[in-house]
Amino acid sequence: MLLLYRYLLHLYPPAYRCEFGEEMIAVFREAQTETWHKSLMARVAFCAREAGGLLCGALQEHLRVITGPDFLSLFRSGRFTMRSEFRFPKATAPLMAIILAVIVVAIEKAKAISASVPHTNPLVGPIPPVHFTVVWTLLLVLIFAGTAGALGWAILFALRRSGMHRFSGFNPSGGSRL
Amino acid sequence: MGSLALTEPVLLILLSLAEQPRHGYSILKDVQEMSDGRVKLSTGTLYGALCRLLEDGWIERFKENDTSRGRQAYCLSRAGRRNLQLEVSRLKHLTRLAILRVAPKET
Repeated sequence: MLLLYRYLLHLYPPAYRCEFGEEMIAVFREAQTETWHKSLMARVAFCAREAGGLLCGALQEHLRVITGPDFLSLFRSGRFTMRSEFRFPKATAPLMAIILAVIVVAIEKAKAISASVPHTNPLVGPIPPVHFTVVWTLLLVLIFAGTAGALGWAILFALRRSGMHRFSGFNPSGGSRL
Repeated sequence: MGSLALTEPVLLILLSLAEQPRHGYSILKDVQEMSDGRVKLSTGTLYGALCRLLEDGWIERFKENDTSRGRQAYCLSRAGRRNLQLEVSRLKHLTRLAILRVAPKET
């Protein structure tokens, strides 16, 4: 069982194993010594519990390495069921829908204007092909998206729904919140 | 105070360390005793919780004379003790509320 335990321990990230590996093995040895004098069912339950704990723990640690320390708060109400108090304001969805509608209407309008204006190159419209590059297009899209995002945030801020005002009553001496 | 709801295993780990500094195995045994055998932590679960608690500064490594391999004790930090007290207050409040609301229905 100890060999299996050591093998499963290798599923953990190397840094975690380096920090806690020896301790975990020592604790497992003590727990195993005590359990091995009990009934068969108790031993089976012990082995299953340890194996399950290692598998779940290894997965969580790897996901934490990838996503950061707040990973578990994404899937549970908190790492120790400490719920983050941040919530998107209720106005977010309607405002985003309005912004999306405006963008769609603008695109349709632009298409209509483009169709009504005669141009020499029907494939790319009035923009000369040599200027129609991926880099400039991406730049334009980024600028447009950034502007739309800033505008949306400004609207939320004006409505006191951006979340910034939640910190107005924050007391730093209240200790960390998990 | 904010929302400080702790899971039962973590609460039991903190209560175990509130009494005295302990090694991992001692924490396992103490948690099992406090919960009357209901909560049996695996080493993976225990050390996952200890890792989080260390990162958040709720517990500290306890320096002691016994430096044998794998024997590392932990103790509550000041922040951990304060947060534990807040959690106990929250639970006391909930218990009082529950007693007030449930008791009349039993009569």
